[in-house]
Amino acid sequence: MIEIKNVTKKYGSNVALKDVSFTVNDGEIFAFIGHNGAGKTTLIKAIVGIHKFDEGDILINGKSIKDSPVECKKEMAFVPDNPELYEQMKAIDFINFVCDIYEVPQDIREKNIKKYAKMFEIEDKLNDTIESFSHGMKQKVALISALAHEPQILIMDEPFVGLDPKAVFDVKEVMNEMIKEGKTIFFSTHILDVAEKLCSRVAIIKKGELVKVGNMQEIKGDKSLEKVFLELEG
Amino acid sequence: MKKLFSLIKASMSEGMNLFRISTKKKNIFTTIGLPIFLSLVLMGLMGSYSYTLMEQLAPVNMHFVVLTLFIILTTVMTLIEGIYKSGNLLFNCKDDNLLLSFPIKRSTVLFIRVFKFYVFELMYNSVFLLPAMVVYAIFVHPGITYYIISFIGLLVFPIVPILLSCIIGTFITFFASKFKGKNYVQTILTVVFLIGIMFFSYNSDSLLANLAKNASSINDFITKLYYPAGAYIELITKFNAVKLAEFIGINLVLFIATILIIGRVYFNINSSSKSIKRNKSNKECKIKSSTPMRALIKKEFNRFINSPVFITNAGFGLVIFLLGSILLIAKYDSLMESIVNSNPTMNLDLLNKYMPVVFFGFICFTSFMTSITSSMISLEGKSFSILKSLPVKSYTVIKSKVLTALIIMLPCMLIGDIIVFIRLKFDILSIILILIATVLFPLISETIGIIVNLKFPRMDAQNDTEVVKQSMSSTISVFTGMVMIGITLFLLFKAVQAGLSNIVIMLIFIVAYAIVYAALEMFLHKTGDKSFENIEV
Repeated sequence: MIEIKNVTKKYGSNVALKDVSFTVNDGEIFAFIGHNGAGKTTLIKAIVGIHKFDEGDILINGKSIKDSPVECKKEMAFVPDNPELYEQMKAIDFINFVCDIYEVPQDIREKNIKKYAKMFEIEDKLNDTIESFSHGMKQKVALISALAHEPQILIMDEPFVGLDPKAVFDVKEVMNEMIKEGKTIFFSTHILDVAEKLCSRVAIIKKGELVKVGNMQEIKGDKSLEKVFLELEG
Repeated sequence: MKKLFSLIKASMSEGMNLFRISTKKKNIFTTIGLPIFLSLVLMGLMGSYSYTLMEQLAPVNMHFVVLTLFIILTTVMTLIEGIYKSGNLLFNCKDDNLLLSFPIKRSTVLFIRVFKFYVFELMYNSVFLLPAMVVYAIFVHPGITYYIISFIGLLVFPIVPILLSCIIGTFITFFASKFKGKNYVQTILTVVFLIGIMFFSYNSDSLLANLAKNASSINDFITKLYYPAGAYIELITKFNAVKLAEFIGINLVLFIATILIIGRVYFNINSSSKSIKRNKSNKECKIKSSTPMRALIKKEFNRFINSPVFITNAGFGLVIFLLGSILLIAKYDSLMESIVNSNPTMNLDLLNKYMPVVFFGFICFTSFMTSITSSMISLEGKSFSILKSLPVKSYTVIKSKVLTALIIMLPCMLIGDIIVFIRLKFDILSIILILIATVLFPLISETIGIIVNLKFPRMDAQNDTEVVKQSMSSTISVFTGMVMIGITLFLLFKAVQAGLSNIVIMLIFIVAYAIVYAALEMFLHKTGDKSFENIEV
């Protein structure tokens, strides 16, 4: 479970997040949507401990990311929007590196790396250096390294950007699989129909302030999510 | 012209902000005050050095020798630095895609890269040259033409070494791009060129003698040795408008011609240097576990060995240490003789007696001249967020960087130690103390480096050179290293003068530096996490 409690983040005099509060429960896929620059990435980076925030707190399964960052991060995996990975590493070395840091046992990492590399069709590319990869390929490496340690909470920033249709389908399958196991998924996206079909709950952010949060059905009513979003943003 | 101006402006604002640092709260001291302060201190040092030299040369009316010396010094410095910087500054830049997609000539893109390189070197050269020019003016009281010519000279002097290093850098990049392990080939070729230059300088006595023999005057000798220096000296001693036009013209033509020539092959070399030669063999992937610390060290090491400019910069001092150690044992007697001959206060017995302290000083020099960690945080660039999102303590990441630096440095230094121990037969206590120093000095140097880089990170560099050679962190680290060397060598000299024994001197220094290290470690432990967390990319 992710509990975001009155989080405020400022860049100088610019308020990037203003008193944002909501909860992402276990076993749900939660979509986080908003315009470019609305504060989605800032909040995601605050949740995963990349960015500090000025006020409030974020609890990961009851533990504060401020007070126990390492314990919180052990529960999570993060897939960034622009996978700035270690370019000179081979893909397999990068995935191994992440697994080493998460202290993933040999048998589990072997099983998961093979499973996801096959799923994303990059088994034969794992020995290549990351610098030779396209954006989509890098995204796949980031996804494999995130999934290999079987996180309780998966946080993704625009996970579908750059992926081919088959990979998008596979990611959605993995998400559904994780939910069945009672895990939590929180992701930002601009692809509203994917969010609408996949997610049980949604939050909409505008200029750093949360304008809507709740069940997908309650939020959109009999309209499409796209229409609701555009009305709110307009 | 407007287009070119816009491109230069954009390029400068992006990559040329030399001392840009990514601290959360930018204050006027760290962004402007500190660079100016460091430049002024360095200029002060150069000024006092020029003044001392000038006092010796003024009575024999050879004031211009000081200027010649500084022009040649900056030229050689720019050439050596340029050789290992140029490949990285000209090719494979992050804004290549943007610039090469614009409707502009490819040679224009090259021009922007070279111009950026020129402006940086101009600033560095000025720190060394300006004080010498001022000291000359104080002693000679020249007319207004001196100031005009000197200003033009300041602008012109970096051109030749920059162009030469660009040509060599282009050749190295072109040759390396043919190989799968292009980074390794690039590093090896760069080192070969640098050693070649050092070897040439070391063996240039006969060439210089021949030039001197055939020169009609000292001025003629300087002109034959290096045209820009000779032309400048001639112009400040006897102004001639035609000669001035020739001086500017030759340099400008060289600049334009080089841009046009390299411009013809620039696009092809740039493209092939980017192409990645993939593994053809379908080897099975190795999936194996290691501890978080080992994984972090492996990652750091991988980053190090894949950056030619990083390796060359870090390895230069270590190679000199190794070569120095070999030279010390291979030519021990003649080396001692020349030291004794050059310094009347020295005698052979004294030198032999204090050889362990001399070598101890050499270890200090090498350690403080090598700062690998001062670039390690900045080199993370945008991928720093990966580290921050991982479940590992910031302090563990910091320690992994220091440990990696030690793993790189210690083998070279220990080999140097062993070579010297075998030949010079130090007593066992001296050997133990020297070995402790071999670990302690690099530990201090690398701890200082990481502290400085945590305080002054540069996470948005266009290439590795901007981090390794042109960042606030590397500048402060070099400066701190120089201060540490200066203080240590001065105190060592005083201790020898006081007649203390080798063991006592080394013991005192090791205890003192162990206390310094403990203080640095406590500081890092206390502030390292916070500084690490404050870096946002």
